[in-house]
Amino acid sequence: MEPPKIWREKRQRYLALGISCKKCGKRSFPLSEYCPYCGTNDVEEYRLAETGKILYFTNVSMASNEMAFNAPYCLGIIELNDGIKVTGQIIDCDYKDLKNGMEVKMVFRILARDGHEGLIKYGFKFTSI
Amino acid sequence: MNKVGIVSYGSYIPKYRISVEEIAHIWGEDATELKNQLQVPKKSVLGLDEDVVTMAVESARNAVNLWDGDPKLIGAIYVGSESHPYAVKPTATIVSEALPTGKEIMAADLEFACKAGTAGMQMCFGLVKSDMINYGLAIGSDDSQAKPSDPLEYTAAAGSAAILIGREGIIAELEGTYSVTSDTPDFWRREGATYPSHGQRFTGKPAYFQHSIDATKGMMNQLQTNPSDYDYVVFHQPNTKFPLSVAKMLGFTKEQVELSLVCRHIGNTYSASSMLGLNRILEKASSGERILMTSYGSGAGSDSFSFMVTDKIEELQAYPFDIEYYIKRTIDINYGLYTRYKGLLK
Ligand SMILES: [Zn+2]
Repeated sequence: MEPPKIWREKRQRYLALGISCKKCGKRSFPLSEYCPYCGTNDVEEYRLAETGKILYFTNVSMASNEMAFNAPYCLGIIELNDGIKVTGQIIDCDYKDLKNGMEVKMVFRILARDGHEGLIKYGFKFTSI
Repeated sequence: MNKVGIVSYGSYIPKYRISVEEIAHIWGEDATELKNQLQVPKKSVLGLDEDVVTMAVESARNAVNLWDGDPKLIGAIYVGSESHPYAVKPTATIVSEALPTGKEIMAADLEFACKAGTAGMQMCFGLVKSDMINYGLAIGSDDSQAKPSDPLEYTAAAGSAAILIGREGIIAELEGTYSVTSDTPDFWRREGATYPSHGQRFTGKPAYFQHSIDATKGMMNQLQTNPSDYDYVVFHQPNTKFPLSVAKMLGFTKEQVELSLVCRHIGNTYSASSMLGLNRILEKASSGERILMTSYGSGAGSDSFSFMVTDKIEELQAYPFDIEYYIKRTIDINYGLYTRYKGLLK
């Protein structure tokens, strides 16, 4: 886990930042210099809605080393209340209790730990309300 | 003189719970006897992807969302804890960036066992009152550790409370604060040690009780108030019995202390303990009511505060993610899962 990468991505991970296009008006995630819809660089930062509902979900049991501490975990595509769709972990729940359409809110959690001595990567996940 | 007080508050309690029965079963102890003694039937446990930082952020965001002000106006953040995830690398920096506040902000992590959060409150009150900042955020957040089979294992819990302090939009005005400090070896953890040690019965009389009583009496003496002048009183809650006992010794009734006893539902949240008790009162208090709060931190010391609730309180009481919300959302775990969640398996 490299300090420069952690540092560069921290705002996007902590605050769930996307962009709002000043030209075509569309909002998108993740943070980018260009609008994925019309290609302009006339975009501004946009903080995603904090609540939404589950569109699809699955259970992840084969996790990468950094995320194995928390496996198995549920991963979902969430449609936020501003219409943007994001992928994120759905935590503090059993896979068997999840349902499409379930209401969720964004929470601040540990995404990965670099062993016992390395850095801790924080960011947003989702939990049922 | 400038007025200063609490302008908002936020709480966070993790979802997992382990019962006294479940722990007592492992060590062959009498659960009924323990529950009578401690009056804590279950305690909160952190999820695998939570720590003092994530809890601090959740409680701080709840405080800022309830306040509905601009976090860029916050001029100081102090996070009190005895379980910061990094020995070197401040929790306060991460909380600041996750709100987000501006970069021009004073920040530090504090340690004074279970009263590091209220020490942060005093720092914020001082900075606001002296016009050095407009708003200050004091957080108590702890994931307390207990050696397996130690009596503390039944109560050592996890939670966080954030108190936003300022001079505009005050919901509870500070009337006074008073502290006592002495070198008392009742509870400690050496650098590098995984679990704290304690002086068994010594943690009671000369430590918790003496300091809580001295600070509370000093506070009331300074303001010329009596126990009957207060509608609510909050003490540190290592278990439910201690705050009830110290309240009685000081002449407070059971009714004055009862609402603050968050410990009864989730156990001892260390730095967050008395602050969560205060938050629970702020969620229910009415204009004109008076609150006395006294924290206790091993080592040892107590911070006492007197607050007068203002007519602004009602605007800050309808919030979905209050203590009741967190108390009610629970997932019970057994001791096996508990060892994984607490990282006891090395
Ligand atoms: Zn566009």
